[in-house]
Amino acid sequence: MPWFLRKLSHGGLLILGVTFISFSLMVWFGPDQTYTLIGKNATTEQIAEVREQLGYNQSFVVRYGHYLADLFTFNLGASNSSGESVNRILQKTIPVTLALMLPGFILGNLLGIALALLATGKKDQWTDRLITGFSVTGMSISFLVVIIFLQVLLCTPYGLNLFPVRGWQVSGLASYLYYVTVPTLSLIFITVGYNTRFFRAVFVEEAGKDHIRTARAYGASTMTILWRHVLKNSLVPIITRFMYTIPLVVISGSLLIESYFGIPGIGKATFDAVTSGDQPVLKAVVGLTAVAFIVIQLFTDFIYKLVDPRIA
Amino acid sequence: MATEILARRKMRISRSGLTGLVIVIFFFLLAVAVWAGWAGQNWSAADGERWASPGSTWWFGTNQLGQDIFERAVYSVRTAFEIGIVVSLLSTALGAALGAVAGWRSNTLADGTVLWLAGVLDSIPFYLFVAAVAFALQGLPWAMHVAMIATFWTATARLARAEVMKIKSREFVLSARAIGLPSWLILMRHVLPNTLHILLIQASISFVAAIKTEVILSFLGLGVQDGVSWGLMLAESTQEVLAGHFNNFLAASIMLFLLLLGFNLLSDALQDSFDPKQAAL
Amino acid sequence: MNQPALRISKLTVKSTLEPGAPAIVSEIGFDLRKGEILALVGESGCGKTKTAEAIMGLLPASHWQVTAGAIELNGTDCSDLPPASLRKLRGNEISMIFQEPLTALDPVFSCGHQVSSVLRRHLGSARNEARDRTIKMLQQVGFADPERIFRSYPHQLSGGMRQRVMIAMAMSCRPAVLIADEPTTALDVTTQAQVLDQLTKLGREYGTAILLITHDLGVVAQYADRVMVMLDGVIVETAEVENLFKQPQHPCTRQLLSYTTGAVA
Repeated sequence: MPWFLRKLSHGGLLILGVTFISFSLMVWFGPDQTYTLIGKNATTEQIAEVREQLGYNQSFVVRYGHYLADLFTFNLGASNSSGESVNRILQKTIPVTLALMLPGFILGNLLGIALALLATGKKDQWTDRLITGFSVTGMSISFLVVIIFLQVLLCTPYGLNLFPVRGWQVSGLASYLYYVTVPTLSLIFITVGYNTRFFRAVFVEEAGKDHIRTARAYGASTMTILWRHVLKNSLVPIITRFMYTIPLVVISGSLLIESYFGIPGIGKATFDAVTSGDQPVLKAVVGLTAVAFIVIQLFTDFIYKLVDPRIA
Repeated sequence: MATEILARRKMRISRSGLTGLVIVIFFFLLAVAVWAGWAGQNWSAADGERWASPGSTWWFGTNQLGQDIFERAVYSVRTAFEIGIVVSLLSTALGAALGAVAGWRSNTLADGTVLWLAGVLDSIPFYLFVAAVAFALQGLPWAMHVAMIATFWTATARLARAEVMKIKSREFVLSARAIGLPSWLILMRHVLPNTLHILLIQASISFVAAIKTEVILSFLGLGVQDGVSWGLMLAESTQEVLAGHFNNFLAASIMLFLLLLGFNLLSDALQDSFDPKQAAL
Repeated sequence: MNQPALRISKLTVKSTLEPGAPAIVSEIGFDLRKGEILALVGESGCGKTKTAEAIMGLLPASHWQVTAGAIELNGTDCSDLPPASLRKLRGNEISMIFQEPLTALDPVFSCGHQVSSVLRRHLGSARNEARDRTIKMLQQVGFADPERIFRSYPHQLSGGMRQRVMIAMAMSCRPAVLIADEPTTALDVTTQAQVLDQLTKLGREYGTAILLITHDLGVVAQYADRVMVMLDGVIVETAEVENLFKQPQHPCTRQLLSYTTGAVA
């Protein structure tokens, strides 16, 4: 089978799996909305009517089929809670989340790479031990603790009181920086320990290869070795980690940050949908995340070919 | 013969690894004390004044309901170990079993199915999945545990699969096959024991992940249902810190940090002793 | 013949990880004369490669303790030079070829780029100049289509071709000394002869002294001027090649000879 078809069938199976599991969990076993919509004292007929509207009286297979069909025709429907169209909700929330999460995500990765390169260059010396110790410490602090700590430190009268405690009223660069700084710092703090550790392991492995010895035997400086040879040879694992964590950080990470800071992004919208059983929103988010994963996988395979001549 | 690979490894544990071990043992003893009813029993009584300062009556002060923060922080050690042990043992066992089958029967339907399932679970944003499971199993006290086990096994399975594929072409496995031992016996006696170091490391990583996840889930209201945990204490403290009361936050976060640090140091030392990297520039 | 290209005295290599273990290389010394081919033979694990890596300064201080009375390159002692000055010598005045051609070149850079970056580093050549010189070097080591080899990545070439690229890289700055560590062990027999012919021809042309590390006495008989025999980190015998084969002094030498009588004949 040609490469593209193989990838595509693999992706198709993955989408089937993701949608099946999320449908079972979130829709079939998810919260029953009958009473939320019509209140406690409804008549039997009213209940039956609402259940039919919601599709509750149909079988699992039929409902799953509808779910898939809706997803692939982008017929995402409207939110059960607010009545707003799901497309509109996505259009409103996704840019907020990207603006909120991307700076911290990118800086957390770059900082991790820089620290890991430094540690690799000074392997087994005190700089390396310091960086390794720092990353283990970072890994041992809970996300929630970091957020609370930074909030107290930067946003309250008990600390520096420079930034807002919560919210997102962005209307320009200044207000953007005002609201994005503390969440960004939190995200960097959370991710940098894990990133540094991961990248250090990759770089140390690369630095042990034979061709690094060759480079040194031909007079390359430690800087040249790290920046050119080690870094370029490590691009495949770096890109893999970067690409594959994008959907997870954007959805999972934003879920906590947005709930905590009260920011109207996709994470908060999704979490509200989980707890209220807002099926149209859930369908869209889970389905689109799965599709994003497949697209990212295809795209990542394509980038591999650009950075590593061995991958044909 | 099956454990020859393990036996040949020299267990050299670093000083930081030893520190980690001491911390973990200390907390474990604390958890045992709570289980045995010797400590942390008075965690729910709201018998103090609100936000009392630390002192001889309230070692770490009280929270906004007047509950003893020290008692709550100590009782939470037990909660943390319950979650950590249950999740790390079961997810590692599940991962080892599925990974071993996939690796032993690599490139078959069984292998493909395991990889597909792992891929699917890894493609669903984690907290969303956990939230959904917790919601689907609402009312069950184990919802959070089930959700974590259902997602944590994938990393272990991938590692176990790779290792089993490596080991199954080794001489002692080939000779066991040559004398006609059944597959399951070879797998149990010769292959799995040689993946123990990976499983041990994975279990300690899952332990840390489980405790960290509990904190987030408890904050989101999907975590510990009855009892108290550091996550619940931190969730309470999000309101308190804005009013300038930090005792709850400090007690929970420092205890949490120490236990996580202990486990991280320990699992680092385990990884180093099994896989010493020689390279240096 | 006043001063040797390379003079080593009292070179010792110890592992810092196992402080009690005996030295890998202990107190060896020798002269590599200008333009000669000196073979270093011995069984695998006797310390030949560690000797070479110690001379090149490739052993990380965190794992290896290297001490030397002197490492003199063209009469200048390099054993106390600061790292930056050492880097200027490596690949320039003294080069090395490794045993494993499959892994010795960086997989993500083209062969031409790797050779020309050595030229640019040491001779300060401009990009085009380095490129032209690299192509000339590739021609010198016997490639009929140097332009294509220049653009190729290591994985697209065979082991023998990669080793010839290594030779081009090693000789590009016309070094005074070349250390060739088992350069043909990983290659098949016909390629072996081809690669060694290229290597020794270029060495003679450029006046480069070659320290040829090998365990193959057939290779020694055919290419070397003199030979040193190493056993457990110590040089037990040094002789002109003809004398060594006629009258081996050390029992270890006799044993080595007995393995390869076919090749000698």
